[in-house]
Amino acid sequence: MLTLKEARSAPPESANAATRVNSSLHLDFEFDRTFGWTVLRESVQEAPLKVVRAFPVGNGSALVHLHNVSGGLLGGDRLSTSVKVGERASAQLTTTGATRIYRARIPAAPAMVTTNITVGQDGCLEYLPDPIIPYAGSCFSQRTTIHLGSGAGLFWWEVLAPGREAGGELFEYELAEMRTNIYALGRTVAIDRVRVEPSRCAPTSPARLGHYRYWSTFYICQVGLKPGTWLALEEQLRQVAQGFCPASEARWGISILVAHGIVCRCVSVRGRDALSGLHALWRAAKLALYGSEAIPPRKVN
Amino acid sequence: MSADSEPIRTLLPASPDLAYLQLLHLADSALPIGSLAHSFGLESLVSSGLLTVRELEEFLRGYLEEAGIVEAVFCREGFQIARGWDNESSPVRWCEINEQLHAMKPARESRAGSIALGRNFLTAVSALGDFSMIRSALEASARASGTRASVIEHSAAFGLAAGALELGEENAVLAYLHQSVAGLISACQRLLPLGQTAATRVLWSLKPKIIETATRSASSNIDDVCGFNPLLDWGAMEHAALSTRLFIS
Repeated sequence: MLTLKEARSAPPESANAATRVNSSLHLDFEFDRTFGWTVLRESVQEAPLKVVRAFPVGNGSALVHLHNVSGGLLGGDRLSTSVKVGERASAQLTTTGATRIYRARIPAAPAMVTTNITVGQDGCLEYLPDPIIPYAGSCFSQRTTIHLGSGAGLFWWEVLAPGREAGGELFEYELAEMRTNIYALGRTVAIDRVRVEPSRCAPTSPARLGHYRYWSTFYICQVGLKPGTWLALEEQLRQVAQGFCPASEARWGISILVAHGIVCRCVSVRGRDALSGLHALWRAAKLALYGSEAIPPRKVN
Repeated sequence: MSADSEPIRTLLPASPDLAYLQLLHLADSALPIGSLAHSFGLESLVSSGLLTVRELEEFLRGYLEEAGIVEAVFCREGFQIARGWDNESSPVRWCEINEQLHAMKPARESRAGSIALGRNFLTAVSALGDFSMIRSALEASARASGTRASVIEHSAAFGLAAGALELGEENAVLAYLHQSVAGLISACQRLLPLGQTAATRVLWSLKPKIIETATRSASSNIDDVCGFNPLLDWGAMEHAALSTRLFIS
């Protein structure tokens, strides 16, 4: 991976006329042994990606709001974020609002978002962004790679909206591509390869979303727990999900990963049903795995 | 080329007629590998009313466009591994692609079902002759999986066996897709008021889509192929919670 200095001096990318913004953000969280809480040790940022500062959370965690000061992503944008959560550190990341993917001005130039995350031994990351809203004509590609060390924890969800629903815009985007790899102790525990191209394959197919519009996925991991623990949590979370809204409004699927975690999937008619369900599952899983309450990130907007 | 890197030929090259018959045999639902016991989430979809006879054909088209192409790409990869088999790197590569496809499946029951079919399939093929490559693949998977059940995905296993038997890559992918769709339709015959004539008609009408999926899979690879089947995933994940079940998955 290029350092920021190398990235700035690399001519081919920056000289590419199709590249509108080429920006990086690096966050490095450390556990401060003296005070017993997590601090944001290093933050290297390039506009439009910004963080203001880390806010302390009641449980010793550090909360950071990810800002995109340009308001959204345009075709050709390339944003890269790397996050390192050190040994025993605990960090919470959220966004200040939905990630808006604007119509691509340059044909066939997707907005590219790359995120690399490392969670060290006994560290924990709660990455809880707002939904992604791909506008009509937009083109979006996301790559997320997460490495978990021994005892490391992860709570990470994503919500993909169908577009600007309020304006009657449903599945009018060109491409939404989301690729995820999660590794625990070097072993692959989850791979997601999602590509939605509404003009090519109808999202409303009964094999895809049917009459539902939102798609959400929530990874819950803690490295080192036995499969039996995950099976019990799978059943517990399924019971929690049964108390959510009627199946005609949202459906929740919950399953253990090949190791070290669980994935929850939701299809829903409304985004708010997905978000309220995600929060409820997060609370239940946090309590079961860490014996502590999930503290929703304070929003600045 | 050293003896180790020489592709292992376990049979004399098959005549086209023999290869055709062997492929029919391997893709036959009567092959005793347990495929009739799995619905891969369809049972939950039917039980919840999300899948009826009316939507079946459209559902299976969506299945082929998403999950089908993923399996087809891994079937091709298995075939290619067999065609270039060497005893040093191929067993490692074989295990890697199976672990990769395994991690791409979110529902545990479908994951377990797919590797049960894969294991049973390769074991059944290995019993048909002295196929050292198939034996090596089985042993490598058992070693890599340790105390876990061997991770052998059905699609990759089908490709590997077809490559070992020199049955032709395109035909192998077509046959794999055809038998997988036929298996799902067979499950639906037990789950839905779907008669034999209607079931046959659905499978017949999907053949162009099967060909299209196989063709598309040729221009993809295991690292970039994508699948988006949220409702099928939901059905597969929810199956474990069904109180009355006909199928294992």
